[in-house]
Amino acid sequence: MIAAKQEHKLKAFLIELLHKGWVLLLVFFIASAVIFTAVNLVPGDPVSLRLKNPDPERVAAIRAELGLDEPLINQYLHYITSFVRGNWGDSLITGQTVREEISEYFPATLELAFVALFLGVILGLGAAFSAQWFKSGLWRNIALGLGALGLTVPIFWLGFLFIVVGSLWLGWFPSGGRFDFTLPIPQGSGFLIFDSLAAGRLDMLGATFQYLALPVCCLSLYPAALVCGVLQARFADPRLHTLVRALRAKGLSEWRIWLIHVLRLLSAAVITVVGTNFGALLGGAVLTESVFSWPGMGRYLVEAVLNRDLFVVENSLLLIILLAYLIISTADLLAFFSNPTVRRHSDSTS
Amino acid sequence: MNIISYLNAHLRCAPVIIAAASQIFFLTGCSRIDESDKTPDTFVFARGSDAQKLDPADIDDGESVNTLAQICEGLVRFKSGTLDIQPWLARSYTIAKDGLTYTFELREGVRFHDGTPLNAETALFTFERQLDSTHPAHFLKASFQYWKNLFQEIKTVRATGPMTIEFKLSEPNASILYSLATFPAWLISPLAFESHGEAIVRRPVGTGPYRFVDWKPNQAIILEKNQDYWGAQASFERLVLRTIPDNTVRLLELKAGNIHALDGLQPAELTELFDNNKYTIHAQPGMNVGYMAISNFATRLRNPAIRHAIAMAIDRKAIVDLALDGFAIVAEYPIPPGFLGEPHNGQPPIMHNPDAARKILNKYPGLLKRPIELHTFTAPRPYFPDPLKIASLIRNDLENVNLKVEIITRDFKSHLVAARRGNFELALLGWSGDNGDPDNFLATFFASWAAVEDSATNISFYKNRAMDKLLIAGRQQTDLKQRQKTYEQVLVIWARDLPLIPLIHTEQIVVTRSEVTGFQLQKTANLFFGPVGWQSL
Repeated sequence: MIAAKQEHKLKAFLIELLHKGWVLLLVFFIASAVIFTAVNLVPGDPVSLRLKNPDPERVAAIRAELGLDEPLINQYLHYITSFVRGNWGDSLITGQTVREEISEYFPATLELAFVALFLGVILGLGAAFSAQWFKSGLWRNIALGLGALGLTVPIFWLGFLFIVVGSLWLGWFPSGGRFDFTLPIPQGSGFLIFDSLAAGRLDMLGATFQYLALPVCCLSLYPAALVCGVLQARFADPRLHTLVRALRAKGLSEWRIWLIHVLRLLSAAVITVVGTNFGALLGGAVLTESVFSWPGMGRYLVEAVLNRDLFVVENSLLLIILLAYLIISTADLLAFFSNPTVRRHSDSTS
Repeated sequence: MNIISYLNAHLRCAPVIIAAASQIFFLTGCSRIDESDKTPDTFVFARGSDAQKLDPADIDDGESVNTLAQICEGLVRFKSGTLDIQPWLARSYTIAKDGLTYTFELREGVRFHDGTPLNAETALFTFERQLDSTHPAHFLKASFQYWKNLFQEIKTVRATGPMTIEFKLSEPNASILYSLATFPAWLISPLAFESHGEAIVRRPVGTGPYRFVDWKPNQAIILEKNQDYWGAQASFERLVLRTIPDNTVRLLELKAGNIHALDGLQPAELTELFDNNKYTIHAQPGMNVGYMAISNFATRLRNPAIRHAIAMAIDRKAIVDLALDGFAIVAEYPIPPGFLGEPHNGQPPIMHNPDAARKILNKYPGLLKRPIELHTFTAPRPYFPDPLKIASLIRNDLENVNLKVEIITRDFKSHLVAARRGNFELALLGWSGDNGDPDNFLATFFASWAAVEDSATNISFYKNRAMDKLLIAGRQQTDLKQRQKTYEQVLVIWARDLPLIPLIHTEQIVVTRSEVTGFQLQKTANLFFGPVGWQSL
């Protein structure tokens, strides 16, 4: 009986996985086609637009070198095959390979986004649970305020506020940048938290967090508000209180009830809301990166679009889209495990 | 155990933890600049964008040029603050009578940052790689756009002695010497190319007062003092060029004392620095012109009388005051003031006179059939910090003389596409000069060979044989008086046909802390931090 149930669960999981893989393939082709079309619909030749004094002969030579004189369909095929192979061409502006540049900027954005996400979830959970536990108007208002603040206050304004207070008045934090240039910069993965831990340098770690502090606080408010909002909505559900009463009657401690049973029950909702909003978080990262001079993908991509930096736009956009899809899918699969009601096929077969 | 009592017990230590944490932050970093009297070790300059690449032969953005200005030097240079040529890495130079041979005697005892001595052989590298398309350092994806544009008359370059190099020209070009002072001709080390290959475009090796150390893209470029510099040593151990994209944040960083100097602020953002003796605002008209082109393809605007009426209708003084807060001057000619060719007497060709303009335009009711398209763009450029505002001021002026105007706004690159096809009626654009020579402006704007679809710099697509002849003559003349006359004639033809209306010369603005000494703005807009020092107030 139990074995059959396990097998059934595994089967459902595999179907789900297969489904996700199929959609991934679909996303890849649709996204690459849309990106390629959009990039090529924009008028003007990116090579000559880069130059103040374009010389037609030289422009033609460079276009040939880059393969831009080929028919569009060949260019598209070349684009998707070389994307899969990880050969993403060179930036027209800097001459560096797109791969090198992405490996420089992507860890910066991911580190910022993940730390902000982590802090946001903690803040959101903390606010929602405090409002629930203490039942006091104060905590409830804090939770409500967090929700309102995170969802409505524009990030660039909040960013300036943080800079004025944290950097200018208190002088505790730098107003921007990612690392202190008077220290040797930790090398390795590009994730400075790991790299400075790996180097075993506490001063590096301190600097990393010091530079992370303001942008992370700024960026974490949005996920905090989302998480807080979702949890408060769930807490209002009378069935939850029935469950809590039942668990109390069973003699469980408050600890176990809230942090194990209730949290587990609600985790699916939290994971889903965080996962599906990861794209919005990356969007927020663009603004945060500008205000805090953060050397990440957001600014990189915006500049690439404005500069018509062809290969950078094509490849990094596709990469971000695929990554966002993977993160949302992972969130789905996690939710699938933590809450049986989101299972797609189980209802019909059981 | 009740969770609330648990939390209550433990939260009591929270203030202690917070206080401790803030202490840790306080102690660990605080990269604040030392406020004490002594000269700081590191000089920090901030700008809005990062450099694009650091190959002198293949750049055109100010940030890249101003990074290389600390690292590399040329055979000659512009004497600080002027457009006079001064021998630099060359000790002296001679120009043959026929204007076809230029000989440079190199300075002894100069070394590149990698130890390579400067001699005829090592100096040739910079020029040969641009001249010879089969040279291994003539990178296939590099444009070498300036070579084609400024040095096209150079036929050969060779060593005629251990410390002598010689350029042979196919025909005389008076501006070559000036071009040799500009960044495409700054010398880089051939050994660096041998050891790093194409990566030298990211790690330049020159002879300048600061040497390249590290580049963290979109964050900072880190340079350190060149201890073996042949000239006066730099005052700071390190020079950091930071990228801070947001203007407000850049200004806040200056106030917080984290940076010593910055550029790229809009005129309106400077007001709070006026009357503050902690900061010095350096401003001077740059070698640029912001103009409004009239397309030759706009047939209803072909009549010079109409063009003159449009020019008379525009209140350029108001543009300077309202759109640039006074940080610009009215452009009377399509060349910056003080340039060779600028007439020394006589009235400027364009005078603001809306009444006269209205009278002329009333004779052409056909103009009113549909609005005139004025093309402009969004992002600021050095010659137009606020192109939208300027466009709307022009529209007001033209509506004041009964013309209807429709403003068409695009992002800069899309605007450039339309402009380089002459696909507009009126369009705003500008030009920042390269070498201080009038040819660099006038041939750019009015030569028929610069009116090629998709790559035009003559975006009016103005074509006139007499004009072409004068422009070629101006290039080949070496006698200054003769050239002056030629370019005066060019300007007479321009003023008659008016293919473009010059609007303003914007000022280059750099703000430094008042302790900063030795900083001087250059006509070329290059920033040189080599001579910059520190003097406590």
